[in-house]
Amino acid sequence: MGQTDPAPKQRLVEYVVDRVLDETNTDTKILVLARQDGHLDSFPIWIGSAEGHAIKLALDTTLTPRPMSHDLVKSFMEHLNVTVRRVVIGDVKNSTYYATVYLENNGVERTVDARPSDAISLALRTRAPLYVSEDVLARRNTANLESWLAKQDVKSSTKQPEVQES
Amino acid sequence: MITQMHLKGLMFDPYNNAYIVVLRDEDGHEMLPIWVGKAEAGAISMALENVAPPRPMTHDFMKSILDAYDAKVISVVITDLNENTYFAKIHLMYQDSEYTVDARPSDAIALALRSNAPVFAKESVLNKQSSEELEQWLENLKPEDFGKLDS
Repeated sequence: MGQTDPAPKQRLVEYVVDRVLDETNTDTKILVLARQDGHLDSFPIWIGSAEGHAIKLALDTTLTPRPMSHDLVKSFMEHLNVTVRRVVIGDVKNSTYYATVYLENNGVERTVDARPSDAISLALRTRAPLYVSEDVLARRNTANLESWLAKQDVKSSTKQPEVQES
Repeated sequence: MITQMHLKGLMFDPYNNAYIVVLRDEDGHEMLPIWVGKAEAGAISMALENVAPPRPMTHDFMKSILDAYDAKVISVVITDLNENTYFAKIHLMYQDSEYTVDARPSDAIALALRSNAPVFAKESVLNKQSSEELEQWLENLKPEDFGKLDS
């Protein structure tokens, strides 16, 4: 039984990056994840504007003249033959989401703690799957989400989101 | 030939709305200004000031990945600076082999600071970057343009 496992596997739900939205009045962006298992759900995460930019570049597969920070991380991993197995948003504390990047090299697995924005920037560049734990889904701050969704309804009738799902 | 450079300071360039990382050699003969964006300047400044952020920033994350597999940053070399395209090489040691990875100088410096690795500049870069340009530029600066890191 799962009970005997010292670190019981969390139940995970797969998500994909849907888009990155500008938050007009602040220097932040909203990263919107979309649930993949048939249940409709949008999972917004507020991130910094530089972090949002890094994700947008990967989403739009924009080629930059020089490697951006997460391209460099990817390049390190290619040199060292390390692959990203998956990214899991597995915890939320004080409205901050925590991500874990699962790495593998010749059968040696390692995990690295990261902000969701860095983990997702890397996942997009390495085509690694992204999951949110059911625990996080249950504990997310829905008050925040509902006010955001209300705003989205107003916005979507007036303005196109700047990054469309491709 | 390469020359070891030290981080002298980080300043705001109001004319270009960018930041300048100023590298200087041991005897202060050579100065190398590198223009970087706001996020990149932030990453360098946090390492310079030894600020421990509540969550790992991008270059902390980068270092965690290298640490996870015991890969070490041996050195960083600034190899070329053109108008818009800056080049650096990061030298890594991993399982007794050396790897050279292409990077922007801002990423390379942010990572070198976190890894206590030395930063070098190629002689051709130092020669190309005339210090006249920097001096002229510095003359136009007001004291408030200088970040608190500059002495």
